[in-house]
Amino acid sequence: MKEEKDILAKIDRQSGMTVPDGYFESFAASLEQNLPVRDEAENPEKIILSPPTLWIRVRPYVYLAAMFAGVWCMLKMFVLRSSPTDGNAAIDRNPILAEALGNDAFVDEYIIDDINQWDLFDEMMDDGVDASSFDLAADSGFNDGFVDPAALQVQND
Amino acid sequence: MANLPPENKQLIERLRDPATCRAAFGEVIKTYTEPLYWQIRRMVQSHEDANDLLQNTFLKAWSSIENFRGEARLSTWLYKIAINESITFLDRERKRLNISLDDQEAALANTIEADPYFDGDKLQMKLRKAIASLPEKQRIVFNMKYFDDMKYDDMSAILGTSVGALKASYHLAVKKIGQFFSDED
Repeated sequence: MKEEKDILAKIDRQSGMTVPDGYFESFAASLEQNLPVRDEAENPEKIILSPPTLWIRVRPYVYLAAMFAGVWCMLKMFVLRSSPTDGNAAIDRNPILAEALGNDAFVDEYIIDDINQWDLFDEMMDDGVDASSFDLAADSGFNDGFVDPAALQVQND
Repeated sequence: MANLPPENKQLIERLRDPATCRAAFGEVIKTYTEPLYWQIRRMVQSHEDANDLLQNTFLKAWSSIENFRGEARLSTWLYKIAINESITFLDRERKRLNISLDDQEAALANTIEADPYFDGDKLQMKLRKAIASLPEKQRIVFNMKYFDDMKYDDMSAILGTSVGALKASYHLAVKKIGQFFSDED
């Protein structure tokens, strides 16, 4: 640290930088002459505030109304999305869907037809149909890994 | 190189009065031109850039003179504007030239070597380069302390940094300058 202080002491706070002759005087005089006029500082009474226009007066209320409208729209959307029975999907608001569900042929074709083969098999067993009378192995997709084929092995007579 | 001019209460009163503020600001310009110029010049090195930034500093002060309430010292307020102008200028130049901080140090060293407004010796030239190699904050602190012999309390008010941190910055700056001299030898 002493070495550094020695160097700085030797330089004696002089950077060696210079300026053109008379620079500071001419700078100050020139800037003072060219200072822009500022009524805010020099003539504040000159500044006459113009009366606010209609838009400026109503603007806060318009913004407030727009904000409430936005919030209302968001709430409405939220309610519509969270309660589907209130929408067009409800049967009582959708006559086409109601009519379709009232049609037995439609229900048989599109709903009953989708019955699971296992359900059908259970139903048949309950009704006393002998499972050994069916060739289960020949029915493709029937043994798709759901049951052990050995357990359902058909007794061929 | 001048130290901070003493605060003139009458001048501040006249600055607040619309009838006298222009003349009072003329006095402000006369009083603070030299200290602010050197502060800026030591940051940006070039006389032309320092001249432009000094002008901007006074114009900014003039454009918001009615906002100067007198809570801070006038000198503190003006120094703050000058230092912000210098830092903003260096940042802008770095972006304009698309160079890093290290490259900017090299660019400042080149500016120092090519400076037509320099009549110092080799040691002073070396010191300018050493100062230019310091990080921005340390450079400002070193310049204020070493060249202006500014009090740490005044520096603290201008830079918004604690006195302890400023002392540490100055100490580090002196060490780095010593290191710079050792490396060059």
